[in-house]
Amino acid sequence: MSQFNEARATVSEAASRPAIRIDGLNKWYGAHHVLRDVSLTIAEKEIMVVCGPSGSGKSTLIRCLNHLEEYQEGAIAVFGHELQRDQKTEKFIHQTMGMVFQNFNLFPHLTVLENCTLGLTWLRKKPEAEAREIAMTLLERVGIAQLANRFPGQLSGGQQQRVAISRSLAMDPKIMLFDEPTSALDPEMVKEVLDVMVNLAQTGMTMVCVTHEMQFARQVADRVVFMEDGEIVEVGPPEQVLLNPQWDRTKAFLDHIL
Amino acid sequence: MNSDAQLKRFVPSPARKPKDSEMTVLRWIRSRCFNSVGNSILTLLVLGLVFYVLDYALNWAVFDAVWHASNRRECMDISPGGACWAGVIDWFNGLMYGRYPIEEQWRVNLGVVLAVAWLLPLSCRSLAHRSLMLVSWIALYPFLGAWLFLGGGFGAETGPFHAILTSLAAGFMAMCYVNWLLAMLKRPSLTDIIYPLVARFVARQTHIFSLLLVWLVFSGVAGGLLSQVALAPVAIERWGGLFLTLIIASFAITMSIPIGVLLALGRRSKLPVIHWLCLLIIELVRAVPLITVLFMAVTLLPIFLPSDMELNKLSQVLCAVCLFAGAYMAENIRGGLQAIPRGQYEAAQTLGLGYWMTMLLIILPQALRLMIPNIMTSFISILKDTTLVSIIGLFDIMLMARNIANDKNWIGLHTEPLAMISILFFVMCYGMSQYSINLEKRLKVDR
Ligand SMILES: Nc1ncnc2c1ncn2[C@@H]1O[C@H](COP(=O)(O)OP(=O)(O)O)[C@@H](O)[C@H]1O
Ligand SMILES: [Mg+2]
Repeated sequence: MSQFNEARATVSEAASRPAIRIDGLNKWYGAHHVLRDVSLTIAEKEIMVVCGPSGSGKSTLIRCLNHLEEYQEGAIAVFGHELQRDQKTEKFIHQTMGMVFQNFNLFPHLTVLENCTLGLTWLRKKPEAEAREIAMTLLERVGIAQLANRFPGQLSGGQQQRVAISRSLAMDPKIMLFDEPTSALDPEMVKEVLDVMVNLAQTGMTMVCVTHEMQFARQVADRVVFMEDGEIVEVGPPEQVLLNPQWDRTKAFLDHIL
Repeated sequence: MNSDAQLKRFVPSPARKPKDSEMTVLRWIRSRCFNSVGNSILTLLVLGLVFYVLDYALNWAVFDAVWHASNRRECMDISPGGACWAGVIDWFNGLMYGRYPIEEQWRVNLGVVLAVAWLLPLSCRSLAHRSLMLVSWIALYPFLGAWLFLGGGFGAETGPFHAILTSLAAGFMAMCYVNWLLAMLKRPSLTDIIYPLVARFVARQTHIFSLLLVWLVFSGVAGGLLSQVALAPVAIERWGGLFLTLIIASFAITMSIPIGVLLALGRRSKLPVIHWLCLLIIELVRAVPLITVLFMAVTLLPIFLPSDMELNKLSQVLCAVCLFAGAYMAENIRGGLQAIPRGQYEAAQTLGLGYWMTMLLIILPQALRLMIPNIMTSFISILKDTTLVSIIGLFDIMLMARNIANDKNWIGLHTEPLAMISILFFVMCYGMSQYSINLEKRLKVDR
């Protein structure tokens, strides 16, 4: 593992251009203040793990990044591109960022393969054969090429989540957002999904992962963010935040889940 | 901790068969129908009732019925207590075709055959552009059908625009059949054959251009051939019977889906003008009986239209029925849309699919699938509701049936025609409902 982290370290130093810069982000649901002055910079090729108790605003934060949620104050810039609410920005966001959800959100009426080729044929206008080839390569990479013609409902949770990852990757994003990708899975399936994510990390993808898999965080994360009540309590390398937290709240949380 | 070698090996125990619980027919009947005194009495009562009704109905409709007679008096003389089917048989042609000239009725039959034949290639799953075939059926077939049924010189009465659309329809159908044949012979389709040729001239969207080219060539040939055909004109007033009923019903059924989808999407729209407009249409149309909508279409529509544009009664009725069916369908579809989880929209959005692609590719296919039973219920009620057009004087099957009683030979013959219509509608509606059950099962297997 140390070898892996060394390789990663050189990657993140060579490319420290910010992929995402969040500046004083504030969000309310009605009067409920769910994100409070969140500021964070994520470098290109960095792997950021976000953790924190339920309801602390982790999902809201990463959903703000790709405009699934609106926010009232603050600014987000992706690769230096200030995000606005206009068509051009939306298009840019969706081309740059892929997202994997807690409950997969595969399209149940399409086969695994069609799930992956949909964006390629309808948005990237690739010919069918080429789209199929790209999708099959990705499905092979996550180890489910043999299930390409099944429907999502015929797959286990772990397999579905791997399809969801391939579906996002097919669009060739620069940044991948993961919102608790393993929380809805049986323990035996968590590993197969994490393995795919570890592989992805090694390819130099910029990743923001909301997850409680501390083993994963220690193994691949460059930095870990701990959130509580909509605020970032602690940011730092995994050894520091996970093994040597500065705040009582972080320590209480970690004691709870480890 | 034990090392691996010391661990006991887990071997699953073999599965057992359940205790023999085979049901014989006798045991089934005893356990379901005669398992208590009350239930036994109920069973016997129901059996008695069924026997009584069947006995009466069969005697009237079959055993005592009169099949050959030249007028109602004769029927009465032969068998006063039986059905007089002779009248229905005598009027059978009118019930089917209205007052369509007998020597031209082959055109109606051909039209129906073509409508079904258009959809046949859909059964070949390997064929490309299957959704296009369905869309073209809705968009183009009506023009081909109208030409067949109306007759007159090609484009002479209905204008060159209609002639072009008819050619396009005929050309499309011919192209589909040639492609179907090629697919069955495991040959590349026409589009694929000319693809390299087209690719030399157009670099982008080559596939679509190839398709268009083939289609246009076929349409040109079809147009050339059709312009040689002269059909005797048949005025719309002479259309009638089951033929007219089917025209109105199939038009309303096919149009109700696109209209319903648009109204449902409009009602969910965030743009206030569209939202309120669709809401208004849906609520207004649903709150008014179909008969009033029909009367309004016939009396009010001409007032709103520019005076030089004159619609025949059938078009007015078609507009009204489509609007009515669409408004009902909109609420069905909206129900289906609401059942789609938000995650589906979000997944589509993060892929970058825009509003229309999300709707057409992701949301509507799922929503429509969910609503198949409700949609089919609507279809069935549309089919039955079309009989109301007889009230505003279209000679559909209902008005033809009621006319039998006015025929001097068959004065007062009301029951038999209505019984015959009931049987006919039952067969059609039951067929539709069986088809929908079949469709549901097939689509569920996919999951
Ligand atoms: N659609 C919503 N409407 C109102 N409140 C919401 C909504 N979504 C989330 N919240 C609230 O925002 C807070 C943060 O939620 P979330 O980001 O989902 O937390 P986490 O992902 O860390 O569990 C929670 O208190 C939650 O109740
Ligand atoms: Mg969450």
